[in-house]
Amino acid sequence: MIWGVAALAALLYPIPFEQTGYVYYETVGFLVLLNAMLGIGWNIIGGWAGQFDFGPNIFFATGAYTAALLAIHFQCNAWLALLGAVVVSVAICAAVTYPITRLRGHYFAIATVAMWMIAQPIGATWELINGSRGLFLPVAPGGGFAHGMLTMEFAGRGKGLGFYYLALLLFALTLLGARAVERSKLGFYFRAVRDDQEGAEGIGIDSRLYKVIARCLMAAIFAAGGVLYGFWALAVFPDQVLEVNWNILPMMAAVVGGLGRLWGPVLGSIILIPISQLMTATLGAGPLAGRGIDLIIYGAVIMLIAGWRPNGLLSLPWERWAARFRGRAAAQPVKS
Amino acid sequence: MPALLQVESCTKRFGGLVANHDVSLVIEPGEIVGLIGPNGAGKTTLFNCISGALHPDEGRIRLQGVDISHSRPERVCRLGIARTWQVVRSFGRMTVLENVICGALRRTNRVGPARARALELIAFTGLAGREDTPAAGLTLADKKRLEITRALATAPRLLLLDEAMSGLTPIETTAAVALVRRIHRELGLAICVVEHVMEVVMPLSHRVVVLDHGEKLTEGPPEEVARDERVVTAYLGDRYRARG
Repeated sequence: MIWGVAALAALLYPIPFEQTGYVYYETVGFLVLLNAMLGIGWNIIGGWAGQFDFGPNIFFATGAYTAALLAIHFQCNAWLALLGAVVVSVAICAAVTYPITRLRGHYFAIATVAMWMIAQPIGATWELINGSRGLFLPVAPGGGFAHGMLTMEFAGRGKGLGFYYLALLLFALTLLGARAVERSKLGFYFRAVRDDQEGAEGIGIDSRLYKVIARCLMAAIFAAGGVLYGFWALAVFPDQVLEVNWNILPMMAAVVGGLGRLWGPVLGSIILIPISQLMTATLGAGPLAGRGIDLIIYGAVIMLIAGWRPNGLLSLPWERWAARFRGRAAAQPVKS
Repeated sequence: MPALLQVESCTKRFGGLVANHDVSLVIEPGEIVGLIGPNGAGKTTLFNCISGALHPDEGRIRLQGVDISHSRPERVCRLGIARTWQVVRSFGRMTVLENVICGALRRTNRVGPARARALELIAFTGLAGREDTPAAGLTLADKKRLEITRALATAPRLLLLDEAMSGLTPIETTAAVALVRRIHRELGLAICVVEHVMEVVMPLSHRVVVLDHGEKLTEGPPEEVARDERVVTAYLGDRYRARG
């Protein structure tokens, strides 16, 4: 019932804005879904496998660049390009992650940061991807909503709506996929490695293999997100796809919502992204512009949530509250 | 037919410290072997070598003829050795049932059958009723019991128990000994028990191996070993021998 309402709300969300022309809010919805999707991906390695990855955006960038190259040089359809981007990112992830799975805790985290730092000059200077001049995606104008959904090409007014639904589709697929992983052998093994690596190895779990698998699943999701972002932005620039926010926001969404919980990053993203957008839109302009007031308030909100509820908002006793609420609702007719 | 487990002249050094020197030992199918010795005798090091957490510098370890001296722990487990740890290593944020499912997934890839097997074993080891408790919330005795259950779920041929009974109250110890006996009787496993509490290991074991200063001092039936002069010295020191 509650899931039906949530799904319906997600489906209907952009309609009033499309009617009234406030398409900006469609973009906010797009960013919420994109970050929620990335957060679910990060939660697989950070929340379930317990390995903190501070440089996941290298796969976001790999995805965006691979798809852009395929679209530019081979006139590849966006969905085929997405598939190719996922395959390439997962392959690269497997190759670079296996050596660092010997490391644990802070050292694993540092290695992932190092990878991101290495990726930045590569992105800015590599001729194949046009260095800091970036790649521009060819977009054929015209074509309706259905054509846009099949090609990720939207021109003009329908773009906000189209990309909202593209993001919703990828988000839903990610959520269902992550749910299946959580309930499978993989989900059990990831958490076993997180809770006690020696203990996990002692019952026959190859901890290095499962860390690689966890990070590759994350890489696949980040790559898909990067492709979506590339087609949305119509261009891929190194400083945009390797931007630090693609590391921080998904991670923060997972932590604020509830680390290691399937819906944690979704809740975190629904809370954090609109606040950030609202702050930027209201305080980023006007007399206080350029002073970073919006970022200060944003940071304070995160610190408050993190300090008050370190295990994330989903760790609150929601079920007990819901039961009490239901109990009261059921009791009311008797009283009256 | 080769023995179940064969440790041949195993030596393990940590820098200048020789933790195990030229230790040999055989475990036959369906046997309970006690591995005893005072603190620092090298019992846990030998266990770690057998289970793949460490690898011997010299010597061989074979499981049914297969050389596992340099195998990683997950492979050793796959070949049929399961172990517990002196310091418990349960998966604290997972429930009791989930812990055991992780073990049972060693023999199947599907969670459904693994869950069914896990529930059977939980009932067998007496943890029934606590399936949904997070492992971190258990008492020490129950954590040790959970580790044994999880190890059994991997369907081993040899179970290594590293001080599964130390740190427990007398009543808990009695219950743990009864559990080990039942595992041996009903599942027919070979079991190797590391303990430094003689009262626990002596009545339980068919055969006892004594380590001291990293070397094998003696081995034999518990009654014989308990009377052995050298064992008494190793445990109690020269002063007691002089007096006694």
